[in-house]
Amino acid sequence: MITLTHFLVVSAFIFCIGLYAVLAKKNAIMILVGIELMINAAILNFVAFGKYDKINYGGQIFALFAIVLAAAAVAVGLAIILNVYRYYKTVNPDQIRELKD
Amino acid sequence: MNVDLFLFYAFATLAIGSALLVVSLKNIARALFLFFVVLFAMAGLYLFALADFVAITQIMVYVGGVLILLLFAFMLSNKELLNDLQQTTGSLFSLPTWKVLPLILFFLGIMIYGIIEWQQSTPAWMTTAIQNNTVIKSTDNNIHQLGIKFMTQYVLPFEVISIFLMMALIGASHLSRKDLQK
Amino acid sequence: MDFLLNISPICTAFLTVVIPLLAFLYQAIVGKKDQSGLVGTLAIIFSFVLSLLTFLDVWNAMPLSSEITWFKIGNTTFTVGILLNNLSSLMLLLVSTIAVPVHIYSKSYMHGDAGIHRYWMYLSLFCFAMLGLVIMNNLLLMYVFWELVGFASYLLIGFWYTKDAAVQANKKAFLVNRIGDLGFLIGIAIVYSQFGTLNLVTLFGNDGLIANTSVENGLWISPHNSMDAIWLTVTGISFFLGAMAKSAQFPLHVWLPDAMEGPTSVSSLIHAATMVAAGVFLMSTLFPLFNDTVLLIIAIIGTTTATIAAYFALAQYDIKKILAFSTISQLGYMMVGIGIGTWDAAMFHLLTHAFFKCLLFLCAGAVIHEMAHLKAHSKQDFDPQDLRNMGGLRHYMPQTFILMTIASLALAGFPLTSGYLSKDSIIISAFEWASAKGPMFQIVPITLIIVSIMTAFYIGRLLFKAFFSELRIKSLLGSSVDLNESPKLMLWPMYFLGICCVFPLFSFNPISYHDAWVMDGLLVQYPYETNHTAHLVIPMILTVGALSVWVLAWRWYAQGQYPLHANSLANRISLNQGYLNIFNEKIIVNSVLNLSKLSYWIDRHIVDGFIHIFINFIQQIALLSHWLDKNIVDGLVNTFGKIALLLGNFARSTQNGKLQTYLYSVFLLVIVGLVYLLLR
Repeated sequence: MITLTHFLVVSAFIFCIGLYAVLAKKNAIMILVGIELMINAAILNFVAFGKYDKINYGGQIFALFAIVLAAAAVAVGLAIILNVYRYYKTVNPDQIRELKD
Repeated sequence: MNVDLFLFYAFATLAIGSALLVVSLKNIARALFLFFVVLFAMAGLYLFALADFVAITQIMVYVGGVLILLLFAFMLSNKELLNDLQQTTGSLFSLPTWKVLPLILFFLGIMIYGIIEWQQSTPAWMTTAIQNNTVIKSTDNNIHQLGIKFMTQYVLPFEVISIFLMMALIGASHLSRKDLQK
Repeated sequence: MDFLLNISPICTAFLTVVIPLLAFLYQAIVGKKDQSGLVGTLAIIFSFVLSLLTFLDVWNAMPLSSEITWFKIGNTTFTVGILLNNLSSLMLLLVSTIAVPVHIYSKSYMHGDAGIHRYWMYLSLFCFAMLGLVIMNNLLLMYVFWELVGFASYLLIGFWYTKDAAVQANKKAFLVNRIGDLGFLIGIAIVYSQFGTLNLVTLFGNDGLIANTSVENGLWISPHNSMDAIWLTVTGISFFLGAMAKSAQFPLHVWLPDAMEGPTSVSSLIHAATMVAAGVFLMSTLFPLFNDTVLLIIAIIGTTTATIAAYFALAQYDIKKILAFSTISQLGYMMVGIGIGTWDAAMFHLLTHAFFKCLLFLCAGAVIHEMAHLKAHSKQDFDPQDLRNMGGLRHYMPQTFILMTIASLALAGFPLTSGYLSKDSIIISAFEWASAKGPMFQIVPITLIIVSIMTAFYIGRLLFKAFFSELRIKSLLGSSVDLNESPKLMLWPMYFLGICCVFPLFSFNPISYHDAWVMDGLLVQYPYETNHTAHLVIPMILTVGALSVWVLAWRWYAQGQYPLHANSLANRISLNQGYLNIFNEKIIVNSVLNLSKLSYWIDRHIVDGFIHIFINFIQQIALLSHWLDKNIVDGLVNTFGKIALLLGNFARSTQNGKLQTYLYSVFLLVIVGLVYLLLR
């Protein structure tokens, strides 16, 4: 019997791995990958909970919305990364320090 | 142990293991291809949550769109890492970042703790759904139901998201135009 | 000339002293550029003229004195001043008179020496010091000039400072003189504590403090203070110790023969005529201070010195050493003159001795000068001062020979010379003194007579060996003997001194010293009767004795009939100066050295050891406090600093512009919020 807890634990792991990629990787593309992983973990939670909502189908519908939004985010993000690369000749976030005072 | 639980564990292991490899491989090209595997395994997991349409969408959107984009971006952005493709020497894995790792593990512990705590008290809408037998079954036609819902109940968000997606794509293509300044 | 006579004697005396000082300063400033010594010579001629004026004014007139305040200690005022009486004006004249010919002689004698500018400088310094010494009216100032004289002598003995012997000699002279100076200083201290003043006029004036002093019941009482009578003797002995060192009395005479390492002209001025006479002058000045004990000691020491020095002079080969011992011997005579109370006779002998001994040295200098020239020309190696290398010099240097003979006759005490008068005065007075005292005291005059005959013998030996017979190194030189008479510049001063060696300058009666003007001027009342027989007999004995030993010397040395074994014990003792130097070396110097070594060892191992322990202890404390300072005090401060640094770095790191760091911080805050929610 696959319970809700199974899904939650798996999504927790995936989320943490995505978070690690966002915080630790030294390449903007990998940071995007990390974001995708976190979004996937969230989608997994949506569909897992959506199992108990047959009337509205809220979980699955929002899972679809999230997938679309993630795709849009990736498209915009990659465009930004390309511009950043053109400007700085690097995609290492450590070397882009314009936020500094 | 029945078969579906075994398959679930197999997919879960595949997803988590592949994700770990993705973040720990040095070579970004390999990491991106391993990301396919993660996405496939995640789609498999959706199936176990009886979300077959979501799983299909996942494969179509991510594998067909996102990953291709990522690969293109990667190839366009990093010449030096392209050289890594030919490189066979050196270690396969990059070292974990010691500053981040304890924080992540701590956060994981908090989430697991939260999940275990949450198990004790199931939310009321779930218990009523179970009692009213309004839980999605494996025999239900999900795609049919979802199509009706998109065109009726969720038609406004559906349209909004469509326009948003279009705006995002136009914006992205505008941003990545070469002669931005002209 | 009238205006010159109107100048007060004090003023002329003052100028007499100051002019050589100015010459000294001039030469010190100009340095090497002044080679001629013209300034020094002119200065001393001026001094001579002025001292002559002073002498004419003061002699047989009232004593004069003038003083100004020097400094004050408490209630006591020290004055600096000039005292002019018969004694000091006589000495003033004597010193400048001797100095003039020596200066002129030096111009030729020292010609061409590399350090001649130093020579003139030192000579002027010496003249200043010596002239100052004789006219000072204060014992302390006398002491100052006494030291200055010694210092100038030190410089001149070591004039050829590259010669090791000269350096050793001037060191020796300086050290031996220190012993005497110590005595002088002690004497001054006692006099000051007893009388409260050092002024000679106050002390020795007609109604002075000494005249009002008496010895009663074992106490020495003066108007100012009273102390045990023994101190009177101690004072006398202390002053005599000072005079002993300066006037080369046994056993402190050892420095004078070595002092002959200096230039001969210096020896003639300083170590024969003037400086060594300073001790006699001091004794004469302080004469009223001495009691019978001290006078007896002086007489005994004087006799001993005269005898031993004459004996040492017998077998010396160095021409200057003979004259040096002769000087010591004659100084012994003068001391005997002091000791028997006839200090006027002593001063008289000082005066005559100064002239003939100076002449002897200058003649010896001329001989050495020519011998050194001969040595330089012939390129042979021989000692130009050694008598054994000379002989027959009268053929080459007839004028020097004549002058030397006159001086030798004066030294030997032949009639018609000045030496006859002065030496007889001492011996006859000694005889009269002994007659008054008792038969034991007859030893003194008898010894003096023997010494006088010895004197005649050794000076005869010198004369005959150097000037008669044949030149002993002729074989060494081959046919050409390049010996000449001395230059005129050297002969004239010698002629002048030669004139001063004969009787008319001192007394128109060549037989009796009582008619000499010096004796009349000084006028000492003798405490004993005059013995007319002695006046007749003693000069006869002396003349006959001197004549016979001259004949003996003639036979021995001029004709080469020497009967004695040259290496006999008596000769060896005489030649080696009685082994006194070796004795000093072995006993005194070694014991002092050992004592110093012992005290050095004690200092090194015991005193230093304690100090080292103490130092180590302090060092350990310092190290401990250093450690405390570094690790605790500084550590505290550094900790605060490090904390501030860490805080700063932490605060800085939140603003480093890295996207992921910002994300990290945000996420950290989320976790904190979650933990809060969970633990609520």
